[in-house]
Amino acid sequence: MAEEPQSVLQLPTSIAAGGEGLTDVSPETTTPEPPSSAAVSPGTEEPAGDTKKKIDILLKAVGDTPIMKTKKWAVERTRTIQGLIDFIKKFLKLVASEQLFIYVNQSFAPSPDQEVGTLYECFGSDGKLVLHYCKSQAWG
Amino acid sequence: MEEDEFIGEKTFQRYCAEFIKHSQQIGDSWEWRPSKDCSDGYMCKIHFQIKNGSVMSHLGASTHGQTCLPMEEAFELPLDDCEVIETAAASEVIKYEYHVLYSCSYQVPVLYFRASFLDGRPLTLKDIWEGVHECYKMRLLQGPWDTITQQEHPILGQPFFVLHPCKTNEFMTPVLKNSQKINKNVNYITSWLSIVGPVVGLNLPLSYAKATSQDERNVP
Repeated sequence: MAEEPQSVLQLPTSIAAGGEGLTDVSPETTTPEPPSSAAVSPGTEEPAGDTKKKIDILLKAVGDTPIMKTKKWAVERTRTIQGLIDFIKKFLKLVASEQLFIYVNQSFAPSPDQEVGTLYECFGSDGKLVLHYCKSQAWG
Repeated sequence: MEEDEFIGEKTFQRYCAEFIKHSQQIGDSWEWRPSKDCSDGYMCKIHFQIKNGSVMSHLGASTHGQTCLPMEEAFELPLDDCEVIETAAASEVIKYEYHVLYSCSYQVPVLYFRASFLDGRPLTLKDIWEGVHECYKMRLLQGPWDTITQQEHPILGQPFFVLHPCKTNEFMTPVLKNSQKINKNVNYITSWLSIVGPVVGLNLPLSYAKATSQDERNVP
């Protein structure tokens, strides 16, 4: 348990050190997370099929949003942004009134109906799609 | 506490100009509308949307009340034809008009919009709420009067719906901070509109996100 705070504190530092998008990715690969069953296909109920249908996404927290220890997830190409938002909210145990946004290219929020397959084709690189997420009281 | 990310009016206009430039490249119909004295202005887009289903009950009642048409043939219409009329009325074109204005008091952009049927009848707030994307409805309905309200358009002086801007700075700050860490240029308007637009049926094509990247390559 004592190790956990340290690992949490280290992650923002590595992100802050990155001068470019690609640099941000490197620290992550040097510290691979132990695989878990949930990481393989979050929220997907279907048995594992053609691996080409799965897309690797890298989830990064923005601001003071809680950080997920598992960052790389394999998701169905047809998974929507809204589906990912629901998954992350459950994973982080956010209350219903908290809004979560997912960004591509650091700052653009795709439509909730957008599929990750399309986003991967537009913004993916090095075999994965980097998505940033941030919770916020955006309304009212 | 992180420093807040307010923007001035000149910065607002610069971001709008960049946004409109890309909009024209892809034929997305945004344009700049100067105010009468040309000291300020706003970004505008008109969008037509097919609306069906949720309007049926309302229009059905109206159509039913108008069943007695002045034509001779009207009195001979069987019940099935009345149902056909209602079905046809259930699908209707709605004209959405979106305006992006600068708020001096909040120092952020604000989304004004209005919607009407083609015959000019304006949509009510209830109709507007029905158009809100499903994934936002639950959250928004917790405080509906804090979120989308009807106000006078600052430049036109006409009634418009407004997506209230009081939280804009709060949710934009971490996004901008994150991009600044890696020295990425961000168009505030593009980022902000991609977040708030879908709430009221305004989705930005993905190319806007790439447009920002392309601008970066041009920076020496």
